[in-house]
Amino acid sequence: MNKIILRNIENPNSHCIEEYIKAGGYKALERAVNEMTPRDIIDDINRSGLRGRGGAGFSTGLKWQFASLDPKFPRYIICNADEGEPGTFKDRVILERNPHQMIEGMVISAYALQSIRGYIYLRAEYPHVEKILNDAIEEAYENGFLGNDIMSKHFRFNLSVHRGAGAYICGEETSLINSLEGKRGEPRVKPPFPVNAGAWSKPTIVNNVETYANITYIVETAPRTYKLLGTKDSPGTKLFCVSGAVNKPGVYELPLGTPLREIIYNHCGGIRGGRALKGVIPGGLSTPILTPEHLDCHMDYVGLVQHGSMLGSGAIMVFDDTMCIVKIYERAMRFFEHESCGKCTPCREGTGWMRTILGRIEDGMAEMEDLDTLEDVANNVVAKTFCPLGDGAAHVLLAAMKHYRTEFEYHVKHKKCEAADPSQKWGQK
Amino acid sequence: MGTEVNDESRWKAWTDNMVKLKINGQEVEIHRESTILDAAKSIGVTIPTLCYIDGLEAYGGCRMCVVEVEGVSRLQTACTTKVNEGMVVVTESDEITKTRKAMLEFLLINHPLDCHVCDKAGECLLQDQVARFGASEGRFAERKRRHRENMDDPFIVRNMQRCILCTRCTRMCDEGQGAYAISVTGRGAHSYIETFSHDKYDCEYCGNCLTVCPVGAIMSRLHRHNYRPWYVEKEIETVCGFCGVGCTTFIQMRASAIIRTIPKIGTGLNKGLLCVRGRFGYDYIESEARLKTPLIRKNGVLEPATWDEAIEYITAALKDIKSKHSAAAIGALASGMCSNEDNYMLQKLIRFVIGSNNIDSTARLSYAPAKTYIERIFGPGATANAIADIEKSDGIFVAGGDPTAINPVLGVQIRSAWRQGAKVVVSGQPGGLRSVINYYLSSVPKHEETVLSTIVTGLAEVKGFSGANPFIEQKIKALRQPCEPELKATAVMLEDMEEAIDDLSRLKRPVVVIGPTLMHSGVPSKKLFLVAAIAYLIDAKIFLLSKKPNFRGLLDMGCVPDAIAGGAPVTPGQLKLKTGVTLTLPEQKGQKGMNIFEMLDGALEGSLKALYVMGENPVFNLPDREKTRRALSALDLLIVQDIFMNETARLAHVVLPAAAWSEKDGTMTNLEGRIQFLRKGSSVSAGKSEWRVIADIAKALGMNETYSDSKEVWQEITQVSALHLRAEYEEIKDGGLMWPYGSVQSECVAADFVVEGLDQLPKVHKACVEEPGTLPLKLPYKLILLPERSLFHSGSTTRQSKAILKVAPEPFLAINPEEAARCGLHSEDSVRVTTDKGSVEVKLKIVRDCPDGAAILSNTFENVSFNALLGYAVDPVLGAMVYTDNEVQIEKV
Repeated sequence: MNKIILRNIENPNSHCIEEYIKAGGYKALERAVNEMTPRDIIDDINRSGLRGRGGAGFSTGLKWQFASLDPKFPRYIICNADEGEPGTFKDRVILERNPHQMIEGMVISAYALQSIRGYIYLRAEYPHVEKILNDAIEEAYENGFLGNDIMSKHFRFNLSVHRGAGAYICGEETSLINSLEGKRGEPRVKPPFPVNAGAWSKPTIVNNVETYANITYIVETAPRTYKLLGTKDSPGTKLFCVSGAVNKPGVYELPLGTPLREIIYNHCGGIRGGRALKGVIPGGLSTPILTPEHLDCHMDYVGLVQHGSMLGSGAIMVFDDTMCIVKIYERAMRFFEHESCGKCTPCREGTGWMRTILGRIEDGMAEMEDLDTLEDVANNVVAKTFCPLGDGAAHVLLAAMKHYRTEFEYHVKHKKCEAADPSQKWGQK
Repeated sequence: MGTEVNDESRWKAWTDNMVKLKINGQEVEIHRESTILDAAKSIGVTIPTLCYIDGLEAYGGCRMCVVEVEGVSRLQTACTTKVNEGMVVVTESDEITKTRKAMLEFLLINHPLDCHVCDKAGECLLQDQVARFGASEGRFAERKRRHRENMDDPFIVRNMQRCILCTRCTRMCDEGQGAYAISVTGRGAHSYIETFSHDKYDCEYCGNCLTVCPVGAIMSRLHRHNYRPWYVEKEIETVCGFCGVGCTTFIQMRASAIIRTIPKIGTGLNKGLLCVRGRFGYDYIESEARLKTPLIRKNGVLEPATWDEAIEYITAALKDIKSKHSAAAIGALASGMCSNEDNYMLQKLIRFVIGSNNIDSTARLSYAPAKTYIERIFGPGATANAIADIEKSDGIFVAGGDPTAINPVLGVQIRSAWRQGAKVVVSGQPGGLRSVINYYLSSVPKHEETVLSTIVTGLAEVKGFSGANPFIEQKIKALRQPCEPELKATAVMLEDMEEAIDDLSRLKRPVVVIGPTLMHSGVPSKKLFLVAAIAYLIDAKIFLLSKKPNFRGLLDMGCVPDAIAGGAPVTPGQLKLKTGVTLTLPEQKGQKGMNIFEMLDGALEGSLKALYVMGENPVFNLPDREKTRRALSALDLLIVQDIFMNETARLAHVVLPAAAWSEKDGTMTNLEGRIQFLRKGSSVSAGKSEWRVIADIAKALGMNETYSDSKEVWQEITQVSALHLRAEYEEIKDGGLMWPYGSVQSECVAADFVVEGLDQLPKVHKACVEEPGTLPLKLPYKLILLPERSLFHSGSTTRQSKAILKVAPEPFLAINPEEAARCGLHSEDSVRVTTDKGSVEVKLKIVRDCPDGAAILSNTFENVSFNALLGYAVDPVLGAMVYTDNEVQIEKV
């Protein structure tokens, strides 16, 4: 198996620096500092074709290049560990079991971008991870991988953990920066982008935990080796977190481009209880749902777009035929409504409105025209919001309504759920 | 030639940054930093907006201003999208119309639609836009968000159900006012605007959040249910009458009453900001306590009289005194609250009609001597700088008072500059600047000179001398560097001073702000010289804070003992005007009149027999109240022209009701030297314009000229005053006429000047050296009493404002927590403050910003006031008033 991030996952002490070094850790940093110039590293990352693992899939090398062209100093390196996308728990595995690979990636980034200060923005819901990270950072300091004279090369980089306060929006990079600065977590106007004016208006790069872990591997080996994994457009491996109605849910590190069917039926052991598959959300709650016809799609940045969805954070949520789509999306919308920061009109007001209509459909209190209203409201939100939060919320609802229109209509007509209707062959909810 | 090249290259740099784009098919050329909204505005294309407001950072939240940009799939918000070369923008299309309609529908789902009971209806931006772009019917059938209307505050009602979360208010509070008093809290649709203090606002009450709220979410409680936009019959643009900044404000009238005073975003030098006094304090005009008729003292009692009787009485008495004694036995006090025309006319009456140079004002206490001194050092116009320069400055040195309280809108500019990276160095009480100070160099009382000397000598070392002004340089060289014990006694860290010097020396657009407190203690000429030296060494623009709105104007109008209007000296002779009028300058012994202090002494000695007091309350505004009272009581004739029966008026022989700020036309000159129009709102008033009454008196005393309105008075001013030669009435447009009023600015001729105790520094008490920062403890322990410079009150007018009294209702004595602990006192304790002049009982407030060794006492209220407790001396060099007997004993009652 080609694992690059969960290489030592079997080792119960994989989070300790001795074990990490024993397994070849911090060799990449050594190589970077001793053999490479910052320019070389940026070029290598660019050549590797690495794309951000947070969800948007933007080219990491390009991002670094933009930041490196900005003459302003200091520059900041931020690790986005605000893993908030529902269904996602991949970063948690790295943070808990392999924090040094991420830290090493951050130090390499700092070297490449001549940054002296980094932050790990950790989500509030991972309090136990804070200790692990702080211990790991301390170990790194003790071993001279962090501090004012890293590897005795007069290279300075200090790193600390900043805990979020529990807002989904702070996973969005400009909101994260606002939150880090002590401001209200809401997105900023772009441009200027964080690479030019991020934290405290200085060039800032924000990358995902998994991205940093990948960087360590790329520098450790070579872009060519890295590109052997995955597909041409989406090189490397990806952590997929599979949850829901499968026999073996969990985090799987697989090359990008692995077919969805293979993940669900081979790696995860198929649908629980041998039931029929109803749908799959392939990349976290804010990616549009796929129906069983789409099972052959390839799980990479390009393949999913072809099927009208997105790779997102790689959180695969599997639903079997006992689950109610209206209920799923009512619950999803409740989440988006709760997490909307309130900055822009359509997201703030639209998510709540969609949630109440969905609630009425679920409760059997809706009329047929409510479906049209719901669709129209969602259309009024799509592409009109300030940031992707509200956009995603409306987008996924529209996809669900498109693929499962009959189920919505059944709810309205029969004032109850198709999936829970005993007269239907699928049995009890 | 050189400048031409310069201009050309600048022009080129500017044009290089221009881009061309098309909006609705029309080509626009605009600077590349502009947004699509700016570009559209520049060609008159209207794009509807809700959260956008001029002057504040674009927010992009409401999504009303969406436009189509060719090649971009999504609609873009015009307020946040920067223009690009070759951009093609469409502002009207079916999709845009649908989006606007959708956004308004979204905004209305949680909006209560209670327009029938909402005071904003009629001027509500949401209402206007829904009427224009919205759907005729809503589809929202669910429950709306609920919020309790918050009535905890005396001024501001928050109705968060109506809030559309555009955050104009919080952006105004943060970016505009710099007060950081409110914020958005909560999530999503449950977000709302909250104060950091939760119930009552704990803020400066500038009310600028009220100006920008597009809906009825943040409303004035004072206008609750008594203001509707359609009540407004007249709206008059005028200049605020509370302080020397001269903000543009609009009076909204219904019949003869003022409904509101409001600023307008982007107008005037205040660009739409106001302070608490300007916004809420105007209601003194409608106070019951206003004088309604002239009063004449008969048998010891002031009795109502007609105007004719009063003028007859005054003329007779003045003639009598002039014949019995001489013209020099008559004097007058002009007013910083009155217009240029009022002050000019008073000066004309006293100087040219009666023939006395005895005219002065309370500007003499600090403003006038400071201005004269600074202008002597740097030449005329040294203090005539545009307030807008403060915001653009990269470093500000503030000495002698809190600008955010004395001249609030000027103070706001300092905070604004700081937000943009300017360094703020403060010597003195920080007040409203406390959150923006880079270097706080306030020493314990009496040691300010040491700190200032250190800065000057330090700067001189770093910057060297340019030789531009040999007089000041020679004096700077003569300064003695403070020694270590002297520095220690100031309680200011030497490192702080050194860092401040370092930063000050590097400034490119520095500003020095001088407040009145600088001149009221120690050796004023020395301190003012030191601050001037700082300004000289770093080449800073100087701003002199002015408590009253027209201090500068009254000086320009010749309301000083030694100069006529325009500043020409009072050499006896004749002044022939173009109109054929001849004015005769008085022949007075010593060729100059008595100043305010000399007039009071003169009244006590018997050399002054009559005093005309216009719009001033010397009994209240001068220290040593008993002395002033005795002096005024000794006069044969005291004429008081005021809007209220105040402490001085009670002693008068004749009281004349005056027209208040909103009841007269004229001009005012602000602290920048900008002449602006004061315009009449209300036409019905018991009082008459001061100048008109004075003109009537002058006429009865033999003046030939007649005036039909204030414009004619101004025309005469332009002939008498060399300074205002070209300041034609028509030239004073909106935005005012800036110094030097179209005349050629005379070459800055610096002159030598006198500094008292150049090589001396305050004496150091032994105890101060042993324990830096402490004052010598004498038993009983004494503190130095300082006056409160209140943001809320301006002298005795605002104590008639019911609105202002809601937030600042009673006098207090403030000391800092350390002093409180030392004296064993607690907040809200009743304390007795005793000086040699008297004692009062007052409530104690514990305020962190109070300097060590000092206590601050209110200077607003009739029974408890600072001035009643202190004596004063006149500084021999500067001529400013210095407080004496200011060591006080405080004990718990």
